[in-house]
Amino acid sequence: MDNGINLGGSKKKSANEVSDTTTHIKLAAGDIVFAIINYTFFLIFTISCIFPFYYIFINTISSNELVTRGAITLLPKQLTISNYLQIAKVGDLWTSVIITFVRTILGTALMVFASALAGYLVTKKEMWHRQFWYRFLVITMYFNAGLIPWYLNMAMLGLTDTFAAYIIPGVISPYNIILVKTYVESIPGEIEESAYMDGASYWTIFRKIIWPLSKPILATIAIFGAVGHWNSFQDSLILNANTPELYTLQHRLYIYLNKSSNVGALASGGDASSIASQMNTKIIQYTISMVTIIPILCVYPFMQKYFEKGLMLGAVKG
Amino acid sequence: MADKALRAHNIKKNQPAVNKTPNEKIADVLYWFLRGAILANIVMLFFPAFNPARLSGMINKNLSLFSCGISYDSIVGNFGRAFRQGWILEETFKTLNLLSAVIILAIVLASAGGCMSLGNRKLKKLGCIFSLAAGVVELLAILGINGLYDDIVDQARASDKISRVLPQLPYINNVFIAVAVVFIVISVINFILVPKEENGEGFEMEPKFKLFLMMLPAIALAFVFSYLPLYGWRYAFFDYNSGETLSMEKFVGFKWFTQLFQNAATRKDLITVMKNTLAMSGLGIVTSWIPMAFAIFLSEIKNQHFRRFVQTFTTIPNFISWVLVYAIAIALFSTDGFINTMINSVSDANVTTNYLMSNSHSWLKMLAWGTWKGVGWSAIIYIAAISGIDQGLYEAATVDGAGRFAKMWHITVPELIPTYCVLLLMSIANILSNGLEQYMVFSNPMNRETLQVLDLYVYNLGIDKGLIPLSTVIGMVKSVVSVTLLFAANGVSKAVRGESIV
Repeated sequence: MDNGINLGGSKKKSANEVSDTTTHIKLAAGDIVFAIINYTFFLIFTISCIFPFYYIFINTISSNELVTRGAITLLPKQLTISNYLQIAKVGDLWTSVIITFVRTILGTALMVFASALAGYLVTKKEMWHRQFWYRFLVITMYFNAGLIPWYLNMAMLGLTDTFAAYIIPGVISPYNIILVKTYVESIPGEIEESAYMDGASYWTIFRKIIWPLSKPILATIAIFGAVGHWNSFQDSLILNANTPELYTLQHRLYIYLNKSSNVGALASGGDASSIASQMNTKIIQYTISMVTIIPILCVYPFMQKYFEKGLMLGAVKG
Repeated sequence: MADKALRAHNIKKNQPAVNKTPNEKIADVLYWFLRGAILANIVMLFFPAFNPARLSGMINKNLSLFSCGISYDSIVGNFGRAFRQGWILEETFKTLNLLSAVIILAIVLASAGGCMSLGNRKLKKLGCIFSLAAGVVELLAILGINGLYDDIVDQARASDKISRVLPQLPYINNVFIAVAVVFIVISVINFILVPKEENGEGFEMEPKFKLFLMMLPAIALAFVFSYLPLYGWRYAFFDYNSGETLSMEKFVGFKWFTQLFQNAATRKDLITVMKNTLAMSGLGIVTSWIPMAFAIFLSEIKNQHFRRFVQTFTTIPNFISWVLVYAIAIALFSTDGFINTMINSVSDANVTTNYLMSNSHSWLKMLAWGTWKGVGWSAIIYIAAISGIDQGLYEAATVDGAGRFAKMWHITVPELIPTYCVLLLMSIANILSNGLEQYMVFSNPMNRETLQVLDLYVYNLGIDKGLIPLSTVIGMVKSVVSVTLLFAANGVSKAVRGESIV
């Protein structure tokens, strides 16, 4: 099974075959009706999940004149990439793309490293008051002071209107620490012990043994962390509202979705006023949406095999 | 190899066995005071209220010593005019920036010394040198800052602008001096008290402290970003406007708590908001069986390729942000969206309904978007559970003549109920948390009334309108209720299933 999403598919299949052969004759007609309804439902629902992306996409690659007339519904016409070339000239969009890229890479890297190290350390029973510190971290999953105290705290720490506000608070993620801890506990203790007897320090053991052996779970948290960073909107909106050059891509898209009926909104991008005259609001919105979504769609095929691990709800135990 | 192993073994075992001299026991007690002072000093570094570098009323009062140390621009943010007119000299503030940075450095040094105090005698001695150096440097720097205060007073007096420059000597400087003295005194005493390490051993530390120190940064971050915000709850008891400082004169006790219920306008708002919140959560709970049904019916599909196709594409919406969902909503349902375009192309009508700009069935629309986004993802856990069901059960049922639906209802569903219950309890515990983003992106003047859930209300009240105390009160009540519900849900789970969910 190359694809983790098909969870236990092969086992299931054999069972279905058994039930098929026995009930086939008796319930043939009912089966067919059921199958038709079932397949139709899932087909329609799946299309409803894909079609919006497709629809936006064909509108961005079709001739603007046809889009404005509402002539593009199911197929693209008069293909062009001019919209993307035009949108690439919008300065503040580029800023947002870069900000979001950097925060995704940097934020994810730090989060994965911290989760790996902390997840390993909390498995060490000899740590000073280990149980207490572990609970100290885990409890933070279940309460929060609320949006406003959180905002005031960030302001007090001087993290409003800074890029660091995107990175530092997300470094420690209790849920990911638990995932790593559970995984590290499943690694046979003998490997670590023998290294320890050879005089390896905790740091060496972490770097040479735990890190390489935990790669599957680290990949899982990395991928979910990266998607979270890419999609982040609230922190930009609340903490960096006064610093447009730090807006994340989602925040930028939100602004365009709400305000781009006003052509002037684009003018901050230098020669963007000329762009606005060639592209109407709708097309600008569609094109920026595509820019925002393409990276997610690109990594999506690689993410699928990590779904199951990311859903280890049972692991969340203190 | 054997030698190395022996060494490692010794490190692990022999440390606690070292007999402590009476002097060393005194030193251990003193060390707790030193560590306490270091910790306090670190805290002071980040609290704007404890900023010894705020020598002028013109320096932003929300600036901590740390910000003063790392950024010159933040100190002189309001000084453009003062410098141009020559009320005060730029040099003075550059020195202030430098001295603040020196204090940061001293605190880093002291922290290193504090960490070393957990090691063996040799490491402790080195640690004492570190904290001693830190104390001396900090003392000199803080005295330097006091000197700068005199400079500023002189400069302001010379240009006759005292009333504009507002020179001040923060009282906290004395505390910093005291802390520095504590550093110096304890370091010197402990350096003498701690006996010299014999037989030339190297720097060592017990594993339990080594591990703790490696963990310390994570603990510190968790404290700063998860526990420290609780300190913000104090705003609930004060009459506070953004940008002001808190003082006891503004203490109003439970005024804001009672206002929630006594002020007619707030009460009316709150009732609407609670109605929306509970409606959205309630609808979510009532429809929480949908992912389970999705998984059950999907597993009835025999064609593996089709099943994989469905799973792959129905999970995608979970990974896009609510802003993008809104972009999709615009593309499909706005005035010139797909739906209207389709209708107009098949009929002669010129439909221009904007489905987003209406207040009809708002709750159901939000539920539909939520389901569209989440169902494929939520189903995965049930699909995993279904694949774990003992196939013997189905075979036995088939032999007994059970039909497809009988098997679904009597085998699959009961097997999935435990998973369902856990998720249901979690969603009950989260009944007040609908999240902010979905309702925020979809709200517009038409539907604001019905989409304003508690999280959005707190945002609008606190961030948009700046009513910080009131929104803090609401957030507090929400947090307390949520935690209580979580414990209640956990208790129910323990009582019924013998397993806790948290």
